[in-house]
Amino acid sequence: MKLSRATSWKAVTAAIAIGLSALTVPVFAGGNRPGVAQWSVVVNQVDAGGLGIAPEFEVAIYENLLDELVKTKQFSTVLRSGDRAANDVSALLILKTSVESYTPGSETKRAVTTVAGATKLKVQSQLCTREAQVVLERVVDGNVRFFGGNLRATYNLAHNVAKAIKQSTLPEPAPSVHDQ
Amino acid sequence: MRYQIVLSKMTGRTLRCLIPVLCFTVSLMSQDGDQAKVPVSASAVQARAILGFEGISNNTNGELSIQGDNLVFKPAEGPITRITIGSIQGVFLSQEDKEVGGTPLALGRAATPFGGGRVIGLFAHKKYDFLTLDYLDSNGGFHGAICQLNKGQGQAFGSELETKSVHVSGLKNDATRLETKNEAK
Repeated sequence: MKLSRATSWKAVTAAIAIGLSALTVPVFAGGNRPGVAQWSVVVNQVDAGGLGIAPEFEVAIYENLLDELVKTKQFSTVLRSGDRAANDVSALLILKTSVESYTPGSETKRAVTTVAGATKLKVQSQLCTREAQVVLERVVDGNVRFFGGNLRATYNLAHNVAKAIKQSTLPEPAPSVHDQ
Repeated sequence: MRYQIVLSKMTGRTLRCLIPVLCFTVSLMSQDGDQAKVPVSASAVQARAILGFEGISNNTNGELSIQGDNLVFKPAEGPITRITIGSIQGVFLSQEDKEVGGTPLALGRAATPFGGGRVIGLFAHKKYDFLTLDYLDSNGGFHGAICQLNKGQGQAFGSELETKSVHVSGLKNDATRLETKNEAK
């Protein structure tokens, strides 16, 4: 009985020691690795490409992209188009989104027929450096086929763009003058 | 003498009741003091912030109004969002059909046998006006916000913004459309 108590005390002490040592190790969010510099990203306004996409869709894609990119935790900062803070960022990527195709849908048609009335969006997403070097290029789509409002297509699209970026391997940013 | 004592007791009780009420009212008035000075437009409308309003979660119901040089969205609970009218780049008005009843009705429709859900879906929708705003923050960052208003309120609100030198496009009243048609003829 005495032996088991002593053993349990040792086990508890060891567990506490392990816990404390784990606390002292810095936690890096979203898979950030220590010592590896991270990119920041600035999201440009959506290029409608003369397809007659409704302005609310352009705005919704842009805003949802910002939200979804923050959620991925792949970038140290997610900046808005035109943000002056981007001038001070050394490792900066620019996300350009241009609409390739857009099929306006109808929520009522979807509710009544189930098969018709889908809202479909297809965009080309490009991640470029300041020097216009394309780092990543994907064609992504976002649709609403059954449930939800038409603007849900923009959320699905932004989610898919963020997912594509998360799954890809970005090159390491070149060391800046400050880092050297 | 006895009558006077009773009277003074009653007055004391009344005062004791009234003083807290008065203090509360005065404190409320002092809180609203600054806001009361700003002219509130007559067109404060019930709206739903679909997305893009800073500090307000998506699909929050509230009141949209113009107060002085600000466009104000006041949610039912939580902080108020103000957008300086001068920072608004453009406003776009549109109209769209939306399902009413939300998730409960959607589930009800799905559960209705013999395709009854489709019939419900045919009638369970309503037209809404949408107000899309483009504006810049103090750092030059581009923002977009979408607001859902009841049918007919979008044009009225847009016209009021137009008087404040905001560029408004899209959605015209049916009357204006008819006038344009007649002019074309």
